[in-house]
Amino acid sequence: MASEPTAATSASANGAGGAVKAGRLGAESYVRMENIRKEFDGFVAVDHVTLDIRQGEIFALLGASGCGKSTLLRVLAGFERPTLGKVLVDGQDLTPLPPYDRPVNMMFQSYALFPHMTVEQNIAFGLKQDKHSKDEISKRVAEMLGIVQMTKFAKRKPHQLSGGQQQRVALARSLAKSPKLLLLDEPMGALDKKLRSQMQLELANIIERLGVTCVMVTHDQEEAMTMAHRIAIMEAGRIQQIGTPDEIYEQPSNRFTAEFIGSVNLFEGSIDEDEKDFVTIRSPALEFPIHVGHGLTGFEGQEVAFSLRPEKVAVSKEEPGDPHNKARGIIEDVAYFGSHSVYHVRLPSGIKVMANFVNTQRWASERFTWNDEVWLSWGENAGVVLTS
Amino acid sequence: MKKTRRWLPGARWLVILPPYAWMLLFFAIPFAIALKISFAHSLIAMPPYSDLITWNGTGSPTISLNTANYLFLLTDNLYYKSYLSSLEIASISTLLCLLVGYPIAYAIARLPTSTRNIALMLVILPSWTSFLIRIYAWMGILKNNGLLNNFLIWLGVIHEPLHILHTNVAVYIGIVYAYLPFMVLPLYTNLVKLDLRYLEAAYDLGARPWKVFLKITLPLSRSGIIAGSMLVLIPAVGEFVIPELLGGPDTLMIGKVLWTEFFDNRDWPVASAVSTIMLILLLVPIVIFHHYESKELESKLT
Repeated sequence: MASEPTAATSASANGAGGAVKAGRLGAESYVRMENIRKEFDGFVAVDHVTLDIRQGEIFALLGASGCGKSTLLRVLAGFERPTLGKVLVDGQDLTPLPPYDRPVNMMFQSYALFPHMTVEQNIAFGLKQDKHSKDEISKRVAEMLGIVQMTKFAKRKPHQLSGGQQQRVALARSLAKSPKLLLLDEPMGALDKKLRSQMQLELANIIERLGVTCVMVTHDQEEAMTMAHRIAIMEAGRIQQIGTPDEIYEQPSNRFTAEFIGSVNLFEGSIDEDEKDFVTIRSPALEFPIHVGHGLTGFEGQEVAFSLRPEKVAVSKEEPGDPHNKARGIIEDVAYFGSHSVYHVRLPSGIKVMANFVNTQRWASERFTWNDEVWLSWGENAGVVLTS
Repeated sequence: MKKTRRWLPGARWLVILPPYAWMLLFFAIPFAIALKISFAHSLIAMPPYSDLITWNGTGSPTISLNTANYLFLLTDNLYYKSYLSSLEIASISTLLCLLVGYPIAYAIARLPTSTRNIALMLVILPSWTSFLIRIYAWMGILKNNGLLNNFLIWLGVIHEPLHILHTNVAVYIGIVYAYLPFMVLPLYTNLVKLDLRYLEAAYDLGARPWKVFLKITLPLSRSGIIAGSMLVLIPAVGEFVIPELLGGPDTLMIGKVLWTEFFDNRDWPVASAVSTIMLILLLVPIVIFHHYESKELESKLT
């Protein structure tokens, strides 16, 4: 296995934001999972999963517990043999290889740092398994310690470190062998909330700087959104949608993703008019029609769901002028978050709609309160029509 | 750290009292008696030793400590040979126990939870029959026309019976057999707690199974190895029944010497001196063990 760090393809260590980051990645598939299926005693944990991950990409598998994301990660690491399918990394078929022969390293959920070894020995462990000279190993260990800023703690034992420090060591250990693929299993799972957001960016920055291709597993959508370039949403062993964080949030392809990511208002309805440049949807939940500013072709009369994110809904006391995309209702609940408030508005049809109101001015939230009658409205491109 | 006054409320004394009382009653007092006898003169009387304190005519007490018993142990090399041979037999037996017991403990710890308890039961079950009977049974197995020899001759592996009974080999077999559960149990409790993620992490980093065992499993089970070894070594040093029944005339063990001094020679002072020295010899490994234990505990607490 290579002793030098994988050449950072086109890595520079600036900022977050999926679309920007995705721009400088290789386009071709570097890690490929081909039609993976994994059964445990007749129970299908993963089914029909095909994934292409680009070189240098941070790819997140996101889903609730039991959705098969961890199984998929363990298939990549080699701890589980897939019942069907193939795993390819950099053109090499890894499927028959045991974990110790794979150019893949994993950062474990609660790090699994060897308690009887110092920080230094932990990082050197992987390197010692390949025939490297002592000098090479200590050079590489020192380099890794520098990258994760743990040089001062080289002689400490894991139990003498804080959670954040342990995570840095775990990262250094999994990166020391310059794996072709880095796996992160719930990387922030063992950290408290405050440390989490800090470490998310730091971890992503280190991984990007080294240009390592990385697959992470998480149940925390915020974590996936901040760290990953692309996200695969998994449910019941299958992939529901793959996309950049903003694609997944703004353009969910089905009901499951729309409801899984963030909060959403879903209106069941049927397509009334399906013209070239607009669509009208009638929903029994709403008094007025929904007007969508783009065509759908071929869905006339079909039952659909209209998904509308709460922050795309405006709240006002006056009735909006448009004949569509509006609703009247009574404020039933107010959740005040400081930066914004969420109003739960009960429509005459009995449906409850969430609307976010950004408190751009001080005391702005006092304008609306319980039992106020308000109007909700949204733009013609604010929502997404879900056909499945 | 702030020093607080070491004052314990009444209920806590009650909790602490029983172990101390136990130690006093069953260790400290008997040992003090043995120590006292070891400094006495041997007498043909009842009890067969002299008092340390004599009252002469004027009513003032005279204490006479007789160190001759200890010096006697130095003059006759039978004693130091028996000590050495006891330590040797016990150490080798402990090592054999470890070699046999480790795979057993490891296998049990990796069994599914439901079968684990059954396997543990099977390890402990033989201890439910009398120790003496089990050692007698081994005589039947090991003797020249016993089960083992007959079986091997029947198989055609050997033509002449192997002379095992009344040799040190039989003593090793007996000790390993009798003390195996004391090795397996602490090892098992240690290995069953072993976090399998450490092993996965080692595999993931490129270590082959054998390397993972040597570098991860073995060092992480060190406290279990030490505990098991102590539990075998300490009683094995003073073992009497096994060398007496299975050993031969050239099997020198301090337990046998002690028996001879006590019952055959009726020299209680020398017998007491022998056992005092044995205790001191055994104290060394116990102290080392304790030192490691507390160090480990300390590192876990910090």
